[in-house]
Amino acid sequence: MRRTRSRSFPVLMLTLAFFAGIVYFLVNLTVHSAEWVSKPYNGHLSDSTGLEFAGRITDRNGIVLARSEDRKRIYNDDYDIRCACLPVVGDDSVNNSTAIQTLYRSELSGYDFIFGLGTPDKLKKGNDITLTIDSKVQTAAYRALGDSKGAVVVYNYRTGDILCMASTPTYDPMNKPEDIETNEKYEGAYLNRAVSSSYTPGSTFKLVTAAAALEKDRSLEHREFDCVGSVEIDDKPVNCFSVSGHIDMKDALKDSCNAYFATLAVELGRPCMNEEAQKLGFGKSWCFDGIETAKSSYDVSEASDYDLGWSGVGQYTVLETPMNMAIRTSAIANGGVCVVPHLIKDMDGDLLSSAADKSSKPERMMSSETADKLKEMMDYTVKESYGKWSFSGSLDVCAKTGTAEVGDDGIAHAWVTGFTTDESCPLAFAVIVEHGNSGFSVAIPVASAVLNAITENG
Amino acid sequence: MNEMLEMLSFGIRLSEPFVALIVIIMCFVSLKGGRREEKALIALESETDDKTYPVLYWENSIGRSRSSDIRINDFTVSRDHAVLLRRNDGWFINDTGSKAGVFVNGQKTDGRWPVAVGDNISLGSTSLVLRRASDVGVQTAVREPKRFPQGVIVAFITLYQALLTLQAAINMMSAEVIIPSALFLVVMWAFYGVSKLGLRRLNFELESLALLLSGTGIILAASHDMKQSFVQLAAMVLGIFLYSFMLWFIEIPDRVMKWNIAIAILALLMLASTLVLGKSLNGAKNWIVLGPVSVQPSEFAKIAYIFVGASTLDVLQTKKSLASFIVISILSVGFLVLMSDFGTAVIFFMTFLIIAFMRSGDIKTVILAVSAAGIGAMTMLSVKPYIADRFAVWGHVWDYADGTGYQQVRSLIYSASGGLFGTGLSKGYLQYLFASENDLVFCLICEELGCIIAVLCAVVIGGLMIYARGVTTRSRSTFYSIAACSAGGLLVFQSALNIFGVVDILPLTGVTLPFVSYGGTSMAACWGLLSFIKAADERTYARHIPKQKKAPAPEEMFEQI
Repeated sequence: MRRTRSRSFPVLMLTLAFFAGIVYFLVNLTVHSAEWVSKPYNGHLSDSTGLEFAGRITDRNGIVLARSEDRKRIYNDDYDIRCACLPVVGDDSVNNSTAIQTLYRSELSGYDFIFGLGTPDKLKKGNDITLTIDSKVQTAAYRALGDSKGAVVVYNYRTGDILCMASTPTYDPMNKPEDIETNEKYEGAYLNRAVSSSYTPGSTFKLVTAAAALEKDRSLEHREFDCVGSVEIDDKPVNCFSVSGHIDMKDALKDSCNAYFATLAVELGRPCMNEEAQKLGFGKSWCFDGIETAKSSYDVSEASDYDLGWSGVGQYTVLETPMNMAIRTSAIANGGVCVVPHLIKDMDGDLLSSAADKSSKPERMMSSETADKLKEMMDYTVKESYGKWSFSGSLDVCAKTGTAEVGDDGIAHAWVTGFTTDESCPLAFAVIVEHGNSGFSVAIPVASAVLNAITENG
Repeated sequence: MNEMLEMLSFGIRLSEPFVALIVIIMCFVSLKGGRREEKALIALESETDDKTYPVLYWENSIGRSRSSDIRINDFTVSRDHAVLLRRNDGWFINDTGSKAGVFVNGQKTDGRWPVAVGDNISLGSTSLVLRRASDVGVQTAVREPKRFPQGVIVAFITLYQALLTLQAAINMMSAEVIIPSALFLVVMWAFYGVSKLGLRRLNFELESLALLLSGTGIILAASHDMKQSFVQLAAMVLGIFLYSFMLWFIEIPDRVMKWNIAIAILALLMLASTLVLGKSLNGAKNWIVLGPVSVQPSEFAKIAYIFVGASTLDVLQTKKSLASFIVISILSVGFLVLMSDFGTAVIFFMTFLIIAFMRSGDIKTVILAVSAAGIGAMTMLSVKPYIADRFAVWGHVWDYADGTGYQQVRSLIYSASGGLFGTGLSKGYLQYLFASENDLVFCLICEELGCIIAVLCAVVIGGLMIYARGVTTRSRSTFYSIAACSAGGLLVFQSALNIFGVVDILPLTGVTLPFVSYGGTSMAACWGLLSFIKAADERTYARHIPKQKKAPAPEEMFEQI
């Protein structure tokens, strides 16, 4: 009988493995439960359920953006604030996949590991969330974008605080339009375009090409070129908006000379351009506070010389999210190291740590010399091309616009990205106005209005 | 819902796991505390030297081999020389193919040969005399069993079931759930009454554990679909009858051996007929529809398979021939694969490994079988691509949240939503998913009753196996030991496939969670399997001792314990 017993040892091991599996599941459950509960498929928290007793969402100045009362979700009293903050805060549904009320619904609803979502109503207490955004700035961006579709990202490139992450079109969460699915006016209203949409970056990409060149060889700063309004690559023309004449890199950026940067991209070659784009955030998505951005993409491995040239001025198949643009600009402002933004200032309990673990880490995108040089060029561009007056406020701004051509008959997207140099108000920003036609005359005024709203608030 | 009632339901949810825990602790403490100590009742006294060999078990191998129960260091004794075994009608010795033979009082034995106290047994040049242990100074302590009164355990299960029922009634605002629960309690107490008063069984722990799980399953079914709970209840009653019949049938090991071949044929017939007559439900062709009832014969085939596998005529694992068992196994697994019932096929294979190893101790057979199965599995993957899909999604369910990982993703989300105490019966969302009552039942419990109760269910099943192993040396025959370990191993393995499949630790196979999952055949078959574990405990059959006997003969002291 002893033999039987010793031969039953493998079955005992099987049982111990079974118990080990159960323990493994419990560990997994403990670690991931908050994340799993927040998934949009959760029936306990979808649509109007789950927010009956949810905590408050406030902006950085304590203005309440959403709260629950009598089992109902009440949003800010001001119509414009409600609309402006919708892409960040979300509505009762879980359609806005990057909104706080979608991503943090379990935390807001008072989920905890011990009682799950099973706490009776009487004992329910939702957790409050304080955001880094400033509802006034957000509203200024919303108003500046007006009826256009677009997005504005502004964040502090020292602390990472996002002051504004606006997106249009939007709608009133207290009174959701019935034709939201059909009316073209609301196309993509569930998206926060700042993080979830990627666009052709156009001339703003010249900063990437310039960075690639400077990183490869500092003396390329002095590479000279005669611009005659276009350049032939593979016997096909790359056209400029104007004839710049004899220029170096600084003037090429100021004049936004396509011929110069297309030629530069071809000279640098595919591997160099691919590598630099990757360093500047292309080919990946950013993650912060549980928000995952869409991927920005740049890949010229298979491109012809002509396409490579166009890619150097942000055309070809290049796509970028407004958030990535703001982040790579922050690296220029911040001595070459980018700053990962964040949206949540404070949350009840210790619930933030798990989301923070997954956030992207700051990276060195370029050397500090390159960053300083680009900063100098952007400063020069503002002073000599756009005019200091174009950013009407009190802040000194370095910037680069873009007018990205989309298709044959589409009206170009208007871009501007840049940063303020004022140490008391260090902000990186990116603005896109879809089919705005001109970075200078459409995107800059939006950026300017938003920056002014920040300085006015102090 | 009324706030007060909601608070009451919440309070009940907080208390349920503790009541369940008390039941489980009482059961396992009683099972362990009531066990016989490994002390000798008779002994073999050597006449050649001064050694005394205590006889500890019902079946004792004697030989030169290091793993023999009674090891005799004499080169004229074969490695596996003989087996000294005990049956209801006394002690016997059985030559197990020794070179020198076994002589009792000078007479050469043939087959099973009776021996009595004082008899001389010669093995090679060693001569042994059978003695009472007390006469040769071998310790024969009999300790008082430490057991909880079995009625108290049943009372606590009643409390647990009442709490679950009250909770469900409050949550659903309907008293309807009380009906299946009340019927369950009636069945439970009747079963207990018959067991204690009718059959005079001392122990009810194993039944209690199974009832705890079955009751949980029934109330889960009742709070989602009343009809299912009655099916489940009827299946449990059927299962209890099957359990009782099995216990009676396998009581006498010799009867088991006699029916061995008939049952092997029955098992294969069940599987083969399913293949021919079976209906395909949800992918696998493993159902037979008989009028209003549909059954899965493969569930019952599990019982027959263990029966056949464990009941060999080998005496105490001294023979290594597995040939006929291997043939039966290949046929069984083959039929299951043809039915596309891969979950059950894997379970059969695992059971085969357990039985084959316990019978032969031959690691080569196991390795060979695993390699053959590996090749078979590879072939299957190339022939049936949908199995490969399950492997593809395994470990990456979140990437397939709306495709092949749909069930697992929801199961994880809702498990997490339940916390430790659950959102309340009928208050969950997993119930709306396909197969939530069977394949996903572990997570359904996590969501509605909380993960403590879910884990306790797993602990009960694992505990059954630990217990089955604990009684291997105390059973009345190796048949019981092997059958108990196989049945326990099968239940654990099946639970592992069920639980880990749904929480994405293993690929999803779609097998049931023993006793808990909805499924009549499965419920009844699990009770059948439980009888193997029950039978392995010698106390199960220790009921009919005439009380008026003055001093029990030493060998009968086994039964008194």
